[in-house]
Amino acid sequence: MSTESVAGALKKARRGVGVAGPGRSPGARPAKKRKNSHARVLLLFALPSLILLVLLNLYPVIYAGLQSLRNGDLISAGDFVGFSNYINVVQTPEFWHSAWFTLVFTVTGVFGSWAVGLGLALFLRTRIPANGLFKVLLLLPWVVPVVVSATSWNWLVATPQSPLPILFDALGFGNVLFLADPVLAQVTVCVFKVWVSFPFMMMMMSSALASVDINVYEASKVDGASSWQTFTQITLPIISRSTYISWILMTIFCVNDFPTIFLLTGGGPVNATRSLVVLAYSTVFQNFQTGPGVAIAFIMTLVLVVIATMLYRQIRKVNIE
Amino acid sequence: MTSQSTGAAFTRRSFIGVAGGAAATALLAACSTGGGGGGGDTMKFWNMPWGGTEFNPLDKKITLAYEPKSGLPSAKYQAIQWANFTQTFSSAVASNTGPAVSSGGGTQAFQFANQGKIAYADDLLDSWKKDGIYDDFLPGLIDAMKTDEGYAAVPYNLDVRISWYNKSLMEQAGVESPKSWDEYMNVCAALKKIGVYGFGLGSGAGSFTGSHILAAFMINNGGGLFNADKKPDCVTPENIQAMEFILEIVKAGYSDPAAATYTSANVESQWKAKKFGFGWDGAGLPAGAVGDVAGDLVVGDPLTGPSGTKGGLYFPNNIMMYKNTPSQKGSEAFLTYYYKNMAPLWTKNTGIGLPPLKSIADTSEFKADVNKVKILADWQPILKTWAAPGGSGLFYNIANTVDGTAPMLDFTQSILGGKVDAKGALTKLQTSIEGLMK
Amino acid sequence: MSTDTTDVPITGKLQVGVTSGKRRTLSQTEHRGKWWRLVIILIITGVVLAPIIAVFVLSLQPSLGSTATGWTLENFSLVFSQTNVGTWLKNSLGVTLVTVVVAVAVAAPAGYVLSRGRSRAVSGYSLILFIVQSLPVVTAVIPLFILFAQIGLVDNLAGVTIIYVGSTMSVAVWMMAAYFDSIPITLEEAAWMDGTSVFGSFTRIVLRNSLPGILSTAIFSFLLAWNDYLVAVVFLRSDDNYTLQIGLQTFFQQNQTNWGLVMAVAVVMMAPPIILFSVLNKYFSVGGIGGSLAGR
Repeated sequence: MSTESVAGALKKARRGVGVAGPGRSPGARPAKKRKNSHARVLLLFALPSLILLVLLNLYPVIYAGLQSLRNGDLISAGDFVGFSNYINVVQTPEFWHSAWFTLVFTVTGVFGSWAVGLGLALFLRTRIPANGLFKVLLLLPWVVPVVVSATSWNWLVATPQSPLPILFDALGFGNVLFLADPVLAQVTVCVFKVWVSFPFMMMMMSSALASVDINVYEASKVDGASSWQTFTQITLPIISRSTYISWILMTIFCVNDFPTIFLLTGGGPVNATRSLVVLAYSTVFQNFQTGPGVAIAFIMTLVLVVIATMLYRQIRKVNIE
Repeated sequence: MTSQSTGAAFTRRSFIGVAGGAAATALLAACSTGGGGGGGDTMKFWNMPWGGTEFNPLDKKITLAYEPKSGLPSAKYQAIQWANFTQTFSSAVASNTGPAVSSGGGTQAFQFANQGKIAYADDLLDSWKKDGIYDDFLPGLIDAMKTDEGYAAVPYNLDVRISWYNKSLMEQAGVESPKSWDEYMNVCAALKKIGVYGFGLGSGAGSFTGSHILAAFMINNGGGLFNADKKPDCVTPENIQAMEFILEIVKAGYSDPAAATYTSANVESQWKAKKFGFGWDGAGLPAGAVGDVAGDLVVGDPLTGPSGTKGGLYFPNNIMMYKNTPSQKGSEAFLTYYYKNMAPLWTKNTGIGLPPLKSIADTSEFKADVNKVKILADWQPILKTWAAPGGSGLFYNIANTVDGTAPMLDFTQSILGGKVDAKGALTKLQTSIEGLMK
Repeated sequence: MSTDTTDVPITGKLQVGVTSGKRRTLSQTEHRGKWWRLVIILIITGVVLAPIIAVFVLSLQPSLGSTATGWTLENFSLVFSQTNVGTWLKNSLGVTLVTVVVAVAVAAPAGYVLSRGRSRAVSGYSLILFIVQSLPVVTAVIPLFILFAQIGLVDNLAGVTIIYVGSTMSVAVWMMAAYFDSIPITLEEAAWMDGTSVFGSFTRIVLRNSLPGILSTAIFSFLLAWNDYLVAVVFLRSDDNYTLQIGLQTFFQQNQTNWGLVMAVAVVMMAPPIILFSVLNKYFSVGGIGGSLAGR
């Protein structure tokens, strides 16, 4: 690594949107000697986090990567089998079923929680008595441990004597099997995910909206724009960067989400709600097939990184505009 | 021990030094209690929460009362939670921080034996032949522990899958405990007339009872999942007939349509709500959260299948010894002590399953529980292990192919969903098991 | 502070600012609309919180085999008198607080590098953070366990703390970087001219002005450590070392589960994050994460 690069950073004009605010002048150019010492200091600044990353993240990844090339289990290493674990897992219908459900789960999780979160963020901007209190209360689904909320959701929907099925029965929908019907179980898990995640989106969108100058709305009102037009033509573009970022983060959160699904349905009925993470988990810990399990997790991560990078590019495009 | 914790402290300190959080060091040190596991003069015994809340404290007391002969290690007790316990054991054994002696999953000993981590119990059982413990085991139990290399474990807490019924609801429906499949079908029909399910069980998150019961019906009909070569043999006429019988029950509406995703808590609440009149579960059902219904619950009779056979599934849970022990003699001496002194776990109503020893089953305290006595008298002799019909001894592949695995759960949930045909579902199960055995 | 877009925390002040702008045009119909909106938000909040309210209600029901009727605090007194819940609470708080302190201490300087540095090495570092965040924890647990077993960090609260710090790292660094982005570099440059060291300007100028950013990072780390289950269940063995998440599992026995007690522990478990959020809510800005993610 060249010391020049880090130090050079200090003098370069800041281009990112988040840093493009006023009060940021190109600044005086520090002496060359100082630049080098700065670089050293910056390296020192990053060092603790680098050590943590290598020890706690890189090491397990490499270890797991080697496991995925072998046919061992949790205890014995097994023989080297090359990429056959990867080839084998993508040939099973279970993998593709899980991939499909992961997609459904992620898409509904991301856009569902975004829509609800944005809606509530917009709503809470209007004049409501004690809206600060509601803002805190509505954060709770995200704050409460999933172990607790999954238990509670199970209690609310699982048996015909649970509160929600009784309510639906009274409303004339008949005996609704929220977890036992494969399609409904998928819907329930997705709704649960949206419930857990919307507060995160609400916060992100609130903070993005907080920066929108209220005068812009006043102006558009004068121009006779409908509120929908205001929303699509003014609000959305202004919050677009935060939106893309929230999508990326939520995509990562959804794809990697193990407890939400595992605690509510365990992946059933008949693998209907078994996402790739849950499949990886049960392959490793229930079927004791470490290699294929890790292979599933790695394929999943690879696709995730590709998708996230694409969204990431989108943000940069927005930035430049 | 001393050197170990010093090592840990050093690592910790240098680590924090790098992290640069001087204030954190003090907090961290205050927060970490002691170093790693046992080692030295102690030997770790890990047991599961087999009963209610009283079980582990009593078990710990028995363990700590062990006074080893000079030169042998004393015992240190640890209760291990059910949650993700396979992870707990696997990671501990893989890193050599595991116990010297433990219970665990019913097929765990065979899995670890396959990986060369188990100290076989042959010498221990030989010594028990001399002091009478060997002959005290209920018939058939020790055979289930036998592998080609030796006895992988010693039988401990028996877990059975049996039928239960609510006697008030049965009376209300005007039926008696069924003795055959035909009678059972009639009972289900009569219960349905009063709005109650006759095939009560669950197969949801973390609950494997449903898959156990389906296997039990196959064994009941003379079938099962493995042949004498310990190879999967699912698509047999006996199994197809048994699964067709279950499908008939499901399609007739005798099974709760949500059963496929019931956790054990959901199942208990259905018994409590008087929605289950007849069902299938473990021996501890009345001890669960079934409320006032507990007093009405009665153990049913083993059913006779269409070809005149009886049978069912049980799990001879067991205690295993590991090669990673401070002293093999110490492990054996401890187990001898433990088996001679463990009777209170059953006689003091701790909620544990059934005892492996006749002497415990013969105590007056145990005999006070009519349901448990009935299970030992009527069910235990006819129950078989996962290895049925091919054999009785458990083996490694059971752990990774059928015992709580994804394919077995999928199979169960598909049958309970009622939308598959028996042969197709069994064929799929066969293929999946073969895939896992590779 | 800059008027930059996402880095502004959700502050009560800003809300007031927005609404007070409107006050001038407040008419009677709008006044009525205000109460309608209150009704709507009350209904929404009620529906959303139903599962959480259920936990509170269940925790106040008499437990298994109890003689009490109606509402009772018996579950709480049982939990505190007969189980180790006090110890678990202490452990959870200890682990979480240390995680928060260390995570901020490590993430702040790293975030500074990410914020001020602009080179290939820094982008590479950013990319590594990003990929690390994308990997599922499930694959890392066993390798880490085997590593930690060798250095005596198994069944040790320090061990899980280190892992928590590691898993907060990516997001914590991003959050800190995002906040630093909003602090004009001119201040530091002026300080450098006066001969202040980089470290000096970092602590005296940047950190001193970053309280909201630090608090956001702290709350995020708090939630992650407090809510973890997967790591703790593998790493912690003895009852004395359990965190609340793991302690809760001891109520799930082979044959019986005492739901009253489970729910009481669940309430104990929910309380600290809820209190924390109520108090610090206005400082918390997840929006900040994005600023830095997108900045480079």
